[in-house]
Amino acid sequence: MPSTPRTEAPLKKRLVGLSMLLVVAGLGFGGYSYWPAMPDAPRWMGAGDDTPRSGGTFVFHHESNVRSLDPHLAYDELSGMAVRLIYDGLLDYDYDSNLVPSLAEALPSITDEGKTFRFRLRRGVRFHPLPGLPEGRELTAEDVRWSMERLLSHTTGSPGFPLYKAIEGAEEFHRGDADHVTGIRVLDRYGIEFHLTEPDQTFLNAMAMTFAYPVAHETYERWGDEANLHPAGTGPFVFDSWERGVDLRFSRNRHYWRPHHPGPDHMIFQENLQRAVAFMRFLNGDLDAIHRQTTPDYLLIKGAEAWAPYRLEFPKASVAGIGMNCEIPPFDNIHVRRAIAFAIDRRGWARARAGRLAPAGQLLPPMIPGYDAELPNLQVLDLERAREEMRLAGHPDGLDEEIVVLFGEGETSRFYGELLQQDLARIGIRVRIRQVNFAVYLDQTGKPHTVGAFNAGWNMDFPDPSNFLDVLFNSRSIHPEHSENRSFYRNPELDRILDTARSETDRERRIAMYRHANDIVAHDAPWAFTYYPMSLEAWQPYVKNYRPHPIWSQDYRDVWLDLPRRRASRSLFGTGRPRNVAATLFPFGGLR
Amino acid sequence: MIQYVIKRLGWAIFVVAVVAVLVFLLMNRVGAPAVATLGPNAGPQQIQDFKRKNGLDQPLAVQFAAYLGVVPCVRQGSRAFKDHPDDPGYCGLLQGDLGDSFTHNEPVARVIAHRLPRTLLLGVLAIFFEIFLGVSVGILAAVKRNTWFDTGFMATAFLGISLPTYVTGPIFLLVFAFFFGWFPVGGYGEGFWDHVYHGILPAFTLAIVGAATYARITRSEMIETLRSDYIRTAKAKGLGPSTIVVKHGLRNALLPLVTLLGLDLSLLVAGAIITENIFAWPGMGALAIQSIVGLDAPTVMGVVLVFSAMVQVGNLLADLAIAALDPRVRLGNEPS
Repeated sequence: MPSTPRTEAPLKKRLVGLSMLLVVAGLGFGGYSYWPAMPDAPRWMGAGDDTPRSGGTFVFHHESNVRSLDPHLAYDELSGMAVRLIYDGLLDYDYDSNLVPSLAEALPSITDEGKTFRFRLRRGVRFHPLPGLPEGRELTAEDVRWSMERLLSHTTGSPGFPLYKAIEGAEEFHRGDADHVTGIRVLDRYGIEFHLTEPDQTFLNAMAMTFAYPVAHETYERWGDEANLHPAGTGPFVFDSWERGVDLRFSRNRHYWRPHHPGPDHMIFQENLQRAVAFMRFLNGDLDAIHRQTTPDYLLIKGAEAWAPYRLEFPKASVAGIGMNCEIPPFDNIHVRRAIAFAIDRRGWARARAGRLAPAGQLLPPMIPGYDAELPNLQVLDLERAREEMRLAGHPDGLDEEIVVLFGEGETSRFYGELLQQDLARIGIRVRIRQVNFAVYLDQTGKPHTVGAFNAGWNMDFPDPSNFLDVLFNSRSIHPEHSENRSFYRNPELDRILDTARSETDRERRIAMYRHANDIVAHDAPWAFTYYPMSLEAWQPYVKNYRPHPIWSQDYRDVWLDLPRRRASRSLFGTGRPRNVAATLFPFGGLR
Repeated sequence: MIQYVIKRLGWAIFVVAVVAVLVFLLMNRVGAPAVATLGPNAGPQQIQDFKRKNGLDQPLAVQFAAYLGVVPCVRQGSRAFKDHPDDPGYCGLLQGDLGDSFTHNEPVARVIAHRLPRTLLLGVLAIFFEIFLGVSVGILAAVKRNTWFDTGFMATAFLGISLPTYVTGPIFLLVFAFFFGWFPVGGYGEGFWDHVYHGILPAFTLAIVGAATYARITRSEMIETLRSDYIRTAKAKGLGPSTIVVKHGLRNALLPLVTLLGLDLSLLVAGAIITENIFAWPGMGALAIQSIVGLDAPTVMGVVLVFSAMVQVGNLLADLAIAALDPRVRLGNEPS
């Protein structure tokens, strides 16, 4: 039977269609072939003048948002960044992590066997404009006393209170049993003295924290609960505005007490900027510094030779691990905890994260006194010993029940969870990952008998081993809620060592005690330590006098801008790729 | 008509109320807002003060009743409570009070009033792109039906419908903002025209899916209309092709698009949440995500209520517009 005849399109029409198809395919292929790679060199360079000077606007960012501009309440990295632009402390840290005077003329004189600290303030330091005082006024010792008492008052509810309760009369004042703190004495207009109940070697560190930065009482009297939105300090930048979740703006303090302190006329701190967008803005020259990247962006900036003078990768004074609640089975058994510590392949984790972390086998990071380079291999990958510990724990074939490990949000946390699953499966422990919001994480891990295991981490407040050991493992850090000792690890011997070390005035003996405490924690494994995070920061070539600070994150107080900046290349794609077709065809970026 | 509008408004209020209950319950069963707001190192006293200030120390039912405004205020930080602590007034939805944002430290209504115009600007730009692109391409495809033009554009439209904004957004940002430098890499800018300039790329991203849908519907409606008897009559009368297409054809083909426009509002709202975050556009969508992540329940409630009210009003306006445009359409129980 003859088939139904097909309707043929006219030859001309078919040829046109075919030509169109070829053109589209050609364009697609051509476009793909010539599609530019990400630029691997700065687009903008400085004017080439090395004389420090003021001017321009410095723009930086973070992927999260600032919580508070009240120094007494702010206790997170971002808020600290903003607070340090507006305020100064009596003491500060130099780039070698040494304490140096700031608003104080010199380091305090210490008497009474390390219990009395006497400060002299610099003369002529002025507050930013205050309510009713558009020219500000001079900072005096009375301001320091008022600020410290506000910090210590229970009505303020400062999370920093425990750091200062060694001041004589602080607890009575906090309870409301006294009108003033007896251990804080104003000597004269510029002199102030702090008397402690017992020697505390961390007191000066505490005085360098943002909690102790002097504030002006006029601000709080005028604005009350909203003083947080009208901050006025003595710092290098004056607060202009803050649209929550969007950006904060600052102007240079033209009456700053430090002579010859050049800086940008304005600063913009952009909040809630995703890493990928921030990176594009940075390469574009819209952001002047960047500090966190996605893995591809990290590899790009790390591998780009042209960025080498304008980037720095360094270990952060932080530690991460798998925390285990020592009150909840099976983690109440030291052998299970040690088995887990022996089963984690820390080098594998570092490889999986493209080298963005350094393996950790103990609590203290290498830059903190007390780090034990000779620490016996208590927490390293050793599957034989891991299996032996499981046998000692009475689980030679692994655990019958899977363990639930709490992780924070995000893909990176999930990734760590999966690495842990792989590692522990080799000793017969099945892991279920439970990801929760950070607030839920903090809430649940801070309560006794609630969470068995969790992905733990700690960022240093000040460069002293007590800030790790006392906070995370002293039994005094256990509370019915919001415990900092989230593994609920209790060891009377450790408590005794830490308490003694805190007041020990001989530095060598003190460090030796902390080293011993560090070894105990590594041995008992309330945490199976995993890694020390690394940080890669980069800044534009025209940003001068910046290097990452060992204590303060993104500390841009001393930068100045070598303006006017100039394009490094006519190409849109940086100096590294001058033969770029798309750049030739679309030169619009040059207009920006 | 009036009866219909009242009935629809009643229905809209019911839907918004259900949304309010669900979101309130969800937001108040998740996590610890005090810790999320104050940070991991907040002291117990600080947390307790926060709870008292925001009424979180009260039972959930009391909190909800106070939020609605049917029992006196329990938020000690509110004006109603501060003015008369012994006999506080009411501070809920019925009094027009959306509460105080945990993270913004100011009334939710003020936060929303600040952010909403930005999302509306993005929405208006997106709707403009949707209609302009969608209708133009749809008409051309209908007029040139079964040609390479028709096939090419409809294939592109199909691609547009298939690609979600979280895919197109980063690609557009990378290509048009970063590589070509035609637009800023996200942000909002300063000054009205700068806002518009910054809004073009996110609005275009938001409009892609809708424009593709508009193009397909316009095409099919136009083809149907162009086959009608009255179009044939118009041709017979000797009218020019553009008059026939625009004046006679398009007018009738547009009716389904009005319905689509009403429904589109919900898509734009949902899209804005993703798009604003990709482009760092500080509008309601970005606010929604930040508030959810920060467990800022009053702000989440406020954003959701405003969004759901917008969708309800949009749908109602679309119904009314159809009735006004087409006399054959009767609303509610009106006799035909």
